[in-house]
Amino acid sequence: MIETTLSRRAFLASACCLAAAPIFTPVTFAATPGDNRFVTIVLRGAMDGLDLVQPYGEAGFAALRPKLALTPDRGLLDLDGHFGLNPAAADLMPLWKSRELAFVHAVSTPYRDQRSHFDGQDMLETGGEHAAEQKTGWLNRALSVIPRSDVRKAIDVNTSTELILSGPNNVDVWAPDSDLGTAKDEMQFLMRLYAGDPAFAEAMEEATRANNAAMITEPEGKRGGKIADVAMLAANMLKGDYRIASFSITGWDTHVAQNGQFNRPVQDLARAINTLKAVVGPEVWSKTVVLAMTEFGRTVRQNGSGGTDHGTGGCAVLAGGAINGGRILGQWPGIGDGQLLDDRDLMPTADVREIAAAMLYRQFDVTARDLTGKIFPGLSFDNGSQFLKV
Amino acid sequence: MSLSFQTMAAIRFGYGFRPGEALPQNRDQLLGQVKDASRRAPSFPVGGIDGRHRQIVDLQERLREMRQSGSDDQLRRKSRKAIQKQVQQRFQRDASARLMQAVLSPNGFYERLATFWTNHFSTSAAKSLPMWMIVPLYEAEAIRPNIGGSFRDLLRAATEHPAMLIYLDQVQSQGPESARGMKQNKGLNENLGRELLELHTLGAGSGYTQADVRAAAMVLTGLTIDREEMDVTFRPGISEPGRHTVLGVSYGGAIRSRKNYLALLDDLAVHQKTAQHISHKLAAHFVSDQPPEEMVTAMADVWKRTDGDLTAVYGAMFDHPAAWRDEGAKARQPFDYIVTGLRALNAGSGNGISGDFMKAAQEEDDDVMARPKDMAGQDDALGGDAGAIAPDPANEARSKRRKSFQTARALGQDALRRMGQPTWLPPSPAGFEENFSAWITASQLAERLAWARRASAQFGKDEDPREFLRSTLADAARDETIRVVSQAPTKISGLTLVLASPEFNRR
Repeated sequence: MIETTLSRRAFLASACCLAAAPIFTPVTFAATPGDNRFVTIVLRGAMDGLDLVQPYGEAGFAALRPKLALTPDRGLLDLDGHFGLNPAAADLMPLWKSRELAFVHAVSTPYRDQRSHFDGQDMLETGGEHAAEQKTGWLNRALSVIPRSDVRKAIDVNTSTELILSGPNNVDVWAPDSDLGTAKDEMQFLMRLYAGDPAFAEAMEEATRANNAAMITEPEGKRGGKIADVAMLAANMLKGDYRIASFSITGWDTHVAQNGQFNRPVQDLARAINTLKAVVGPEVWSKTVVLAMTEFGRTVRQNGSGGTDHGTGGCAVLAGGAINGGRILGQWPGIGDGQLLDDRDLMPTADVREIAAAMLYRQFDVTARDLTGKIFPGLSFDNGSQFLKV
Repeated sequence: MSLSFQTMAAIRFGYGFRPGEALPQNRDQLLGQVKDASRRAPSFPVGGIDGRHRQIVDLQERLREMRQSGSDDQLRRKSRKAIQKQVQQRFQRDASARLMQAVLSPNGFYERLATFWTNHFSTSAAKSLPMWMIVPLYEAEAIRPNIGGSFRDLLRAATEHPAMLIYLDQVQSQGPESARGMKQNKGLNENLGRELLELHTLGAGSGYTQADVRAAAMVLTGLTIDREEMDVTFRPGISEPGRHTVLGVSYGGAIRSRKNYLALLDDLAVHQKTAQHISHKLAAHFVSDQPPEEMVTAMADVWKRTDGDLTAVYGAMFDHPAAWRDEGAKARQPFDYIVTGLRALNAGSGNGISGDFMKAAQEEDDDVMARPKDMAGQDDALGGDAGAIAPDPANEARSKRRKSFQTARALGQDALRRMGQPTWLPPSPAGFEENFSAWITASQLAERLAWARRASAQFGKDEDPREFLRSTLADAARDETIRVVSQAPTKISGLTLVLASPEFNRR
């Protein structure tokens, strides 16, 4: 059972700042059988994986990115002698050292050529082979095929449902700073008011449920930025009855002066993962996998304004006590002449959906047949997948 | 059952009813709003368009002086903070004025269009410090005057505005082979070229390729801003020489000029895919998340016939029967919800507490928001008797104004932010979400309830909920809503139920 240790009013009072904060930063939860946990984080705006995990050992990398490429003697945190971590992600190094963090380079969805954020994110969240092929989110469809999953309640912590968890299975929507109010008598009237309108009746029901479920926050009242609030709420739900959570981090669309712009979202990502670990506690963390993924990567060459444009191959981040990390995964395609896609992008060598499929397989016993048929149609995946060895 | 023309016009195509306001009686009167209102200056930016230009030039000057001054870091931080504060306060005043513009205007359809087009050509004030002052100007001078004319003019005005060029990084783009680009080792930025095709004209998935995006970006090189004047300019020295082919048409030449990208914009403006994409977007915004195909086709046909005469395209939307049936298919977005609520409650100048609300929203950077220490000085200047023990009328008036200001902010910009639609701060170049499912959710409903309670308590003391229901929803009120409201436990509760009802949140 979840304990209420801080009033939601106090929590509300802290949740404020002007404008620059991302508008939609959702968390979605689902209750499923067993003790394993799975968290997905959608990195919206196309994260530059080559900036986060830099192939500093690669000849020519520095020449392709004179303003962006770092080396260990210029602050890059060495990972394995060939790749290094962007110093903005320094807070993730302890996880790397304890083998609770891994990176998968050169991954993408099947989305190619057009490089639109919105189509790219749709593909990432619906899990289809083509844009607009699937109308529902793959994480929602997964709820239907998790064995013995008779409780398929999910909650999306936000003002808006994210595509990844939208679909036939019930999803609650909630934001860390919403509040339903307490006028009991008015509540009866509202129920009547909405009785004839299913969309409103459902939203009201979710609000009532979520309002009760979300009466939780960090015991000591130590609150960070918005992303920490979101991660904290997710973690508290995972400590309770919920097993699946999803939210997103924005700010990765770094067309200009990437050096300055990239730090904020990277720090948010590190803060989100570290907050999840700290709040769920060691036991839950040991059964948790976090998968952070983005719609596509960015150009290998920096552009004319110290940024990068829309590319293809990107990088996925895996974290959690349940993984065997401390490794760079995937097949590195190289960045030399003739190795780039369209002479501009990192060549994708794996489908990011395969990583997600592998996590659903190992965390919730979803069968390979359901994974390649219902969840990710067209995906090739079997129990020999390299990502099952993570 | 179908609703009266006036009700549909007010709810579906406007910001609802406002007591005492004359309603459009037919299609031509609705369209007439666009022509009339396009010529009028909006109430923002506060101080007018010319005043804002001067303020922006002045801001650039101050920022430059600050950078060049030999002062230490601490001093520089302090002066930057002071500048930031002033810029933010101006933005807050503009945002409040923009909200009240929609609340007070008798031209609901025009106001709705202004919101639609500002969102279509999205720019965000959060991009950089000057943008907090430029984005309100952008809506006032590039968008609003052009939404009744040809799409070509609107596209040109939006694209050739500093707000767009800064937001989509065009100011950073240089032709890699241009004279300056070679010298400075700078190059192309594809952002504006891409969004021009994907969002502003043809639409995603309409068949253009990455090569078209890059070529469009090449054609656009040279289009930039003069930073000192913060005005649009064309610099041949940074434009990529040669010809560039976008969608099979070649633009440019040995000598590059403004004409090249204007030719590209003009071709895109009348492209069949653009007509289809934007007609669909208009119909989806006003009528249904999934508008009937024939309606969109009829609009796109008129677009083609008139080379994108927008008023004719709006007329084609009105002429389709689907525009006038199936009311309530769309969700009111937060801005729409709040404006409609304030209109229903007759918030505005000249009626008691509502008048204070109006004024308060505009008073942000005056003594109302000043710290007590600063105000003591102002008391002296105003001849106030700060030292007296007896109640000080000046102080009382001020604290009343401060309270009004706080209410105005809570019911205006703070509420918009909490509901996920802060003014001039869209989450991406694609603007805010459109569909019902994005806006009618549990926490959205919780926020709307909180707003409805507070607004009812603020403005509704003299209202009878049954009367309020009639004047606000007219024939759109369902029987069950009429019943529930008439049985509400208190007046405020009754008003809250009206504002919380499905038909008030739908349109």
